Amino acid sequence: MAENFNQHSDVSAADLARLSQEAKSEATPSTARIIWDEFKADKPAMVALVIIVGFILFVMIASLFINTPQMMQTDIMNYFDKPGTDGLLLGADSGGRSVAQQLIVGSRNSIGIALGLTAISSTFGICWGLIPGYYSGYIDWGMQRVYDFMMMLPMTMMIIVLVTIIPHYNAITLTLIFSIFYWEGTSRLIRSRTLAESQKDYVAASKTSGTSNLKIIFREIMPNISSLIIVDTTLSFAENIGVETGLSYLGFGLPPQTPSLGTMIANANDPNNITQYWWTWLPAALEIIILCLSISYIGQVIRRAADASQRQGAAD
Amino acid sequence: MSLITIQNLKVHYPIRSGFWNRVTDEVPAVDGISFAIEAGETYGLVGESGSGKTTTGKSVVGLEKVTSGSILYQGQDITQKANRRRLNYNRDVQMIFQDSLSSLNPRKRIEDIIAEPLRNFEHLSKEDEKLRVLQLLDIVGLDADALYKYPHQFSGGQRQRIGVARAVATNPKLIVADEPVSALDLSVQAQVLNFMKKIQREFGISYLFISHDLGVVRHMCQNIAIMNRGRLVEIGTRDDIYNHPLHIYTKRLLAAIPETNVAQRAAHRASRLAVERIYQEQRAKYYDDDGKAYPLVAVSPTHSVALPAALAHQLAQEEVQREAQA
Repeated sequence: MAENFNQHSDVSAADLARLSQEAKSEATPSTARIIWDEFKADKPAMVALVIIVGFILFVMIASLFINTPQMMQTDIMNYFDKPGTDGLLLGADSGGRSVAQQLIVGSRNSIGIALGLTAISSTFGICWGLIPGYYSGYIDWGMQRVYDFMMMLPMTMMIIVLVTIIPHYNAITLTLIFSIFYWEGTSRLIRSRTLAESQKDYVAASKTSGTSNLKIIFREIMPNISSLIIVDTTLSFAENIGVETGLSYLGFGLPPQTPSLGTMIANANDPNNITQYWWTWLPAALEIIILCLSISYIGQVIRRAADASQRQGAAD
Repeated sequence: MSLITIQNLKVHYPIRSGFWNRVTDEVPAVDGISFAIEAGETYGLVGESGSGKTTTGKSVVGLEKVTSGSILYQGQDITQKANRRRLNYNRDVQMIFQDSLSSLNPRKRIEDIIAEPLRNFEHLSKEDEKLRVLQLLDIVGLDADALYKYPHQFSGGQRQRIGVARAVATNPKLIVADEPVSALDLSVQAQVLNFMKKIQREFGISYLFISHDLGVVRHMCQNIAIMNRGRLVEIGTRDDIYNHPLHIYTKRLLAAIPETNVAQRAAHRASRLAVERIYQEQRAKYYDDDGKAYPLVAVSPTHSVALPAALAHQLAQEEVQREAQA
């Protein structure tokens, strides 16, 4: 068998090292390289990347040095301190608690929940979209009925009910409760693209090459819809920050003694706070706006990197 | 014994409609065809768009669910998935696709694309695998620097040659070539076809060559089957089909080959119109009441035509007389 090929080709084992060296010098840059070039070409996105990475690192590290129970103790002497007084950088709220410290711990909680929720719900949603889209037929029918049933449930109400009947819930249980419901949009989006993608000839070629179905789904089709997956994941990360924030704002998110961006924005429920004590809610609101804007900038860059015709970075 | 024998192959697609989405009708894409491919030959399958050529080809590589009939390879019916797996069937039967761009995964490098069948069927070491890929690239006339590039960086002809390299990788016995050059311009067509012929000479591969281009088929094939509306209308050697066509559909296809001899333009046009007139006037004679082709009738050891027996022999006689006169 191998002799057969040796007969008809001048290439022999001796040339292997030299030829693969030649090929390496002509190789197309890796995906990571392309994304990095794309960031370098787009200054606002670069700024957004620095903001996001820097902020998340700062919040994760700084919150390690903050004693949360002590921080959440009421201190009547600091009642609605203005920013800058009594050594409080962003002032204090109605309980005399430091807004700056609450912002750091609250951001860590909110971003942690959003990251966890995005990881779980996107992974599940992608699988629940790829598998029915590829197999179609009975598997598709069955999985879509499950999807329809989940869509039918009123999401917000179910979460509120679950939160009230679970006695001791914390950030982790809250993330899991959210994850039950937030995979649906992703799954339908991925399924529709997979339906189109699995009709293409390269899937047929992989089948005739003897590749197994699971390998075709996750190694052939998934990389080809990666731009869709990345955009959907970044955008749902931004959205998921809002999910936790929104429910905490309504009083059904994290327990009140746990600070989060949502509980801080809930300070704006009081008209007095809105007009006079703006420092209790404005920093959290601004932070959410900046985070979500930055994430969507980054998502755009990654989408452009995935599509050769939209690239602005260095040409290869 | 033939390499592969197709017996009464049928592929019908269901049409669903109505409130309960029940099967109400069927489209007979392939409607009972039989032929055999010998080892080392190029078998041409010709017909207009929608005549079922590609469906037949896909059934032969096992990509299409067959309604009934059988495809025998080494005495086993490979329309069953279990038989295909047991025989490692796709190691011996590979496919070259019509659209070279969409048949190569745009997210994979050329090395991974060509190595895919090798990884599944022959578990080579990393060095051996890379060496084999480099040899394959050399055989189809591409440089080693193609190894780490992506499909979109190549021209159409180069991509099609990458497709040929992938199909040849496991040293198969039969390659189904589904209109491999129809998307390429003429100079590149010749290039790819010559590569395919060269590879056939060197490795002794059989081709099932699917095309609607009769010029290309004449260049490539020893035996030819003409397909019309899911059925075979004429089977024969190259000489039978091109010089002694009997069925009106074959005659029409041949008349449609463009002729570049300007001096003969009027004569050529007249002969085309004559064929078309016969088709319009005598259609009922050549097709049955449902507008389908008749079963095949042998008029010589190599030549069969889908006509009622009496008419087939009468036409064959006329053809012999005409040749004797000429």
